[in-house]
Amino acid sequence: MSELTRRRFVRDSAGAAAGLTALGALGVARADARETAEHPGTEPIVAHVKDPSSGEIAVLHGEHETIIHDRGLAARIARAAR
Amino acid sequence: MSSHREAPAISKDPVADNTDTYAFVSPDDPSTVTIITNYLPFEAPFGGPNFFEFADDVQYDINIDQTGDGKPDIVYRFKFTSTVADRNTFLYNTGPIDSIDSPSWNRKQFYSLERIVHGSATSLGENLPCPPCNIGPASTPDYPALAAQAIQSLPGGRTVFAGQRAEGFYIDLGAIFDLGDLRPFQSLHIATMMSNAPGVNTTNNFSVHSIALQVPKTDLTIGGTAPTDPGARNSVVGIWASASRRKSLIHEADGSKSQTGPYVQISRLGNPLFNEVINPMVEKNRWNALTPADDSQFLKYVKHPELAGLLPVLYPGVFPELGALDKARTPRADLVAILLTGLPSGIIPGFQNYTGSTYADELRLNLAIPPSSSPSIYGLLGGDLSGYPNGRRVADDVTAIELRAIAGVTYALVDKSYTPDAAANQVTDGTTPADLTEPYLDVFPYLGVPRSGYETGALASV
Repeated sequence: MSELTRRRFVRDSAGAAAGLTALGALGVARADARETAEHPGTEPIVAHVKDPSSGEIAVLHGEHETIIHDRGLAARIARAAR
Repeated sequence: MSSHREAPAISKDPVADNTDTYAFVSPDDPSTVTIITNYLPFEAPFGGPNFFEFADDVQYDINIDQTGDGKPDIVYRFKFTSTVADRNTFLYNTGPIDSIDSPSWNRKQFYSLERIVHGSATSLGENLPCPPCNIGPASTPDYPALAAQAIQSLPGGRTVFAGQRAEGFYIDLGAIFDLGDLRPFQSLHIATMMSNAPGVNTTNNFSVHSIALQVPKTDLTIGGTAPTDPGARNSVVGIWASASRRKSLIHEADGSKSQTGPYVQISRLGNPLFNEVINPMVEKNRWNALTPADDSQFLKYVKHPELAGLLPVLYPGVFPELGALDKARTPRADLVAILLTGLPSGIIPGFQNYTGSTYADELRLNLAIPPSSSPSIYGLLGGDLSGYPNGRRVADDVTAIELRAIAGVTYALVDKSYTPDAAANQVTDGTTPADLTEPYLDVFPYLGVPRSGYETGALASV
């Protein structure tokens, strides 16, 4: 197979592949039709017990961090971790 | 170097590892400023099948300090999203990529750009395309034209590019990290018996991922003015780049990841080499998490840089004046000015980039100083007011400039009675832009075309 023919083979194969995955190809032009590489899933809510003795807990949610003080909750989480 | 793998934590997170940041008045359009910030150190061009890309879960910022308080007044924020067209193949591309929207390119990356002024965000662009990596003649047959398609014009006279570029930072890392054994002077080194030799540009043929932004000067200044007086305080802006990740990351059992919480900074870069050679190792991770407004904590390392004490030891008899300066524990007011406050008027005729008394590691760019028609890679030390440490251009030899400054050349600026060692103004690792296989471009985005994996071969042999 000559270099030129081999190049054409790759190009034609790519064209066929693109035809078979038309939705994927459309996604290039339309942002809403793209499939992202990673499936992010739902963002968890994370509670970080920063100081069990004072009950300071950092609650991570979305792009936020909320600090609460709840000795009872901190104690229950600490007990669950044992 | 200049900030490649410079701290223990970020060296393990290359997609967020800010390697170089540049800021300069655009030589081909002096009404604009170009800011470039690079990530992903030492990209081997053949690094597939999952070729290099920005991280979808990292927030990349370019920060502008207008007031000199070490805090960002303007932030340009970049967020990336990768896509996969065909989920049934392992291939990056299923045929030649001859255009940026080619269906043969399986894994594309797009980004959004916001301009945030004191917390208020304006979108400058959505779904802006990155180019693919340069793979080889079969996959990316006309790479320069392909990459040029990713240069995007934005509202307000702004231009942006985000994607792979040739590494433009030239340096002999192999020699420098071998106990500072600079090849052009190695016969004088305490630990070597070798004769002097030319420097070796060890970063040549590697690539990086660059975010390049060109904006009108009026985009950066208080009141949106275009400065014309080099002596005016408002002619100077401070610039640095940073990268942040979400506070919480959970690796799920199925291989996916969950992230939540606010973004926290894990990398930053203003002056080249600050975190690399000024801060001690145990401070580097913390420094990366702070803003320039916090840099008074690191003032002591600038006043008494470790390297200034090492040079006289590594090169016995070569730096007696520097040795005496260091032995006397003389605070290096010159380095404090260059790195943390900017140089006030009266030090170098016709020049200042002083932002005030706040100690903050930023690139300080005087926007009223036009590009030089005959630039010197040694910047201010070479008599060129438009080069480092007045911002930083892609070709500036920041390694030699900073080595010479630390060796005592600039101390004479603040103490006229001090005579630098004769060797101080000759220190170099022996590399220059001529050691780059891929030259810089004369136009945006200025960094050269990255080498393809096919043509590069074994990096050690080219």
